[in-house]
Amino acid sequence: MKLRSIHYLPLAFVVTFAYFYRQDGLVATSVLYTAIQFALPLALAAMVGIMCERTGIVNIGIEGTMLISAFTAFFAGAILQNTGRGMIVGVLTGVIMGLLLAVMAITWKMDQIIAGVILNILAAGVTSFYYRQNYSIPSTLDPIDLPVVGAWPILGPVLSFHGPITYFGVLIVFTLWFALYKTSWGLRSRAVGEHPSSADTAGVSVTRLRYLNVTIAGAVGGLAGSYLALEAVGIFERGFTAGKGFTALAIMIFGRWNPLGAFAAALFFGLTQALTNQLMIAEVVEIPFQFVTMLPYILTILILAISAGKVRPPAAEGIPYEKEKS
Amino acid sequence: MDAKQGKNFDLSSVFLPFLSIIVALAFGGLLVLIQGIQPLQAYRVLFATAFGSFDGIALTLAKATPLILSGLAVAICFRAGLFNIGAQGQLISGALASAWAGYTFVGLPTLVHIPLALIYGAFFGAIVALVAGALKAYRGVHEVITTIMLNSIVIALADYLTSTPFKEPDQPLTRTPKIQESAQMPDFLGLPLGFFLAIGLSVTLWWMMRKTTTGFSIETIGRNKNAGWYAGISVKKTVIISMLIGGAVAGIAGAVETLSITGRFEPAFNAGLGFDGITVALLGRANPLGVIPAAILIGGMRASASTVQFEAGVAPELVDLLLAMILFFVTAPLLAKFFKSRKENVAMTSGWSN
Amino acid sequence: MFRRFTTLVVVTALTALGFATPAKAASESDCGTGRLFCIGLVTDTGKVDDKSFNQSAWMGAQMAAKVNGGFAKYIETTDPKDYAKNIGQFADKKYNVIIGVGFLMAEAMTTAAAKYPKIKFIGVDQFQGTAVPNLTGLVFPEDKAGFLAGYLAGHLTKTGKTGAVLGTEVVPPVRYFGEGYRNGVAYAAKELGKKYPASKLIYHAPDNAFNDPAWGATTAQQLLSQGFDVIFGAGGNTGNGALLRVAKKKGAYCIGVDSDQWGTLPEARPCLVTSAMKLIDKGVAAVVASIVDGTDKGGNYFGAVGLAPLHDFAKKVPAAYQAKLKAVTPKVLKGTIPTGVKL
Repeated sequence: MKLRSIHYLPLAFVVTFAYFYRQDGLVATSVLYTAIQFALPLALAAMVGIMCERTGIVNIGIEGTMLISAFTAFFAGAILQNTGRGMIVGVLTGVIMGLLLAVMAITWKMDQIIAGVILNILAAGVTSFYYRQNYSIPSTLDPIDLPVVGAWPILGPVLSFHGPITYFGVLIVFTLWFALYKTSWGLRSRAVGEHPSSADTAGVSVTRLRYLNVTIAGAVGGLAGSYLALEAVGIFERGFTAGKGFTALAIMIFGRWNPLGAFAAALFFGLTQALTNQLMIAEVVEIPFQFVTMLPYILTILILAISAGKVRPPAAEGIPYEKEKS
Repeated sequence: MDAKQGKNFDLSSVFLPFLSIIVALAFGGLLVLIQGIQPLQAYRVLFATAFGSFDGIALTLAKATPLILSGLAVAICFRAGLFNIGAQGQLISGALASAWAGYTFVGLPTLVHIPLALIYGAFFGAIVALVAGALKAYRGVHEVITTIMLNSIVIALADYLTSTPFKEPDQPLTRTPKIQESAQMPDFLGLPLGFFLAIGLSVTLWWMMRKTTTGFSIETIGRNKNAGWYAGISVKKTVIISMLIGGAVAGIAGAVETLSITGRFEPAFNAGLGFDGITVALLGRANPLGVIPAAILIGGMRASASTVQFEAGVAPELVDLLLAMILFFVTAPLLAKFFKSRKENVAMTSGWSN
Repeated sequence: MFRRFTTLVVVTALTALGFATPAKAASESDCGTGRLFCIGLVTDTGKVDDKSFNQSAWMGAQMAAKVNGGFAKYIETTDPKDYAKNIGQFADKKYNVIIGVGFLMAEAMTTAAAKYPKIKFIGVDQFQGTAVPNLTGLVFPEDKAGFLAGYLAGHLTKTGKTGAVLGTEVVPPVRYFGEGYRNGVAYAAKELGKKYPASKLIYHAPDNAFNDPAWGATTAQQLLSQGFDVIFGAGGNTGNGALLRVAKKKGAYCIGVDSDQWGTLPEARPCLVTSAMKLIDKGVAAVVASIVDGTDKGGNYFGAVGLAPLHDFAKKVPAAYQAKLKAVTPKVLKGTIPTGVKL
């Protein structure tokens, strides 16, 4: 692998961290811990995008999938008075949204951007229209104290005490990376995303694989929505995904459609958000808060502009597959 | 695709969208019915308000104006294979710049002041888009990332400028002073002047896409970048030009809002227009003329939403539900298949794979 | 194709028939006749069930309607450019009182008040620079409520670290709440003879500032993990997110905003020691009452602010602190103890 400037980032990060850790260990670990929390919903949502796009389906309906799953997860959890069941309903809602996208994009060969936009508007309309007050879930999904890891110095307070969906989310990231690059399913999926007709000739059912992947991606989107409603805050409010599904698209591309890359990108973005807060806590800079809050966005653009290098999305993305054409 | 359809005019291309809208309304009605609300009453109010009187039409067109323009901003970029999610940021930049030009220059005649403020809007909208275009062309940074990030940056920057250097003095709110009277866009024949400007721009861009080399270059790289390269088209230049056009048009959308509706810049007042632009562009099949009916339809629904709530008691989210249904039925091949129409369902956006 | 078309028309028509039932009688036809007292409310962009200021104002309108045997109705604004139109809907039906919520509507309300001199207008959070006889600005000294919250926070903190998770700074009430809170903490520290660092005010980025509870929660977590133990959440759903996260931390306190959040956000009860309230509902009802008995003069009406009851925390907060708070409260409200916030 060619060493590009972006690969020096982790090194710069470790040096900076070591410096700040010597200054104030509590603050340094707290910033990292918070960065993970900011990153998680973005990382999970980016996995939705990666799973779809690696098989050639554009999914810009992630925001809508998260919103409507958060809605059903919360209200199911509240009505059944069972947070766990709420999460299951949330994930199932994601599956339905994934299937809806699959039908529109694969079977009906609709324009995939339109299909995604339909999901987003539908979710915004439905969740806002049918929203009701005075419901609460019995409890949120509470943070877990990791047994051994929690006692480690430095890393312990960073890695321990996150919620169950957070840990499961990280597991999804690594599993997806492994599955995409080390299993035959991954090989076939990527082939379908790059060159569907060759994959077809080789005996892979393009339609079936795309359906499968888009549906699983929907489930992950449902999990991301459940995370917001059941783990992060424990409430549902209209439009409270606040654009995270769109930021996730940027994270996905930033990470070059690679699960680990996207995870790193999400962590980077989360870190800039935590640092933004830390700047306001430290009150070291006398600049208007608007400029401080711009930091994550400006840094992302800067890093990309400096590291450059053309990113290449899966070749067959956005194009409906026609068997006859091959 | 639209260029070819014009030659052998097919009734279904006009008839199907209308039918699709009716079916969408029927399904939307079912969703409303679950709430125990009478959809027919709601629809009667909706359409009577939006299209049933001259005042109603004037309001609908005023609402449609920024939607046509932001729809154009997205559509032109779609044509070049670029996904401009940043119309919102470009629009805000243009709205603020035109407000500044509108209140700073004193003593200009209206005929100079309005065009000047519009140019400011177009210029600053284009600047924002240029950042995304140039990074895409020269550094390979994906426009979806930059436009999403730039939206947040522009919103924060506009917020700062309006709360400090450009703030209207002696009052607590975050807003610029009111624009001079000479910069206020008047009505033309009782209809908003900006609407005619939007129509003019749509026709101009439609003509540009069909008849000029710029349009040809944009279409070509939109279909296939390599083909464009072989044909001797500078892909870099074309990417930048398309983003500049998109940004300028979005900036004009913001400027028209400032000069004819809000009369000043106040951050919250331009929310959502750029994102509606994506819907308009898609509903209008990324065609510079197609965005006009799409924007009028959405504008009409947005214009009458509060009246529907006032008279029929239906929450304004009804519009979102209907929009999703309409977009679905207009683009899904269900009805076309029902009539055995042979029209192929062609994707018009290339996502970001180009 | 024709047969299929007919089928579709029939199906659509049948569906339509299913919807058709007579519209309910519009009760506001009696507005303006003197027989019915009608109150119309136009929300700031948002819903009447936003658990925040739109909801409080709507509750006030309903209370006022009930007391005066009248009728209340609302329109939820989706686009700030519709303010004038939405106010006009009520004005055209000759409503007696029209309430506009939020400072963004100030300009539209002034224009409407001039256009409809016979109708009374109430502008929530709209300070009136020049008094207009038929327009009352219902405003609140949020800095005082924030100051009291900070005063209590300054006494409650064990680590000396207090913070606030806020919407955006450029919305005046948010800044007043936040800076009042910070100065209240400083006042308490001085009184206790302790050197606490200044309370930290964390603002969300300007977009989605009031509707990002996940950000609020994570930001609160960041503060908690650095030893902050009293956190004030003021910024709609964003602030609520912060309260909900503090509720999970044992021994930490949180302070709500606007209404008594013990009722509106029961999930936050484990940490919710009090709320910095501005009583919009009571203020709206009071202004309507003054309109009914003809004593209103326009200009500004200063609504009540203060701290919500401590509820279950009345047993946990030391009696000495509660007594001190009781003593300080009237002085802050009267202004003998200045909040030091630049308005």
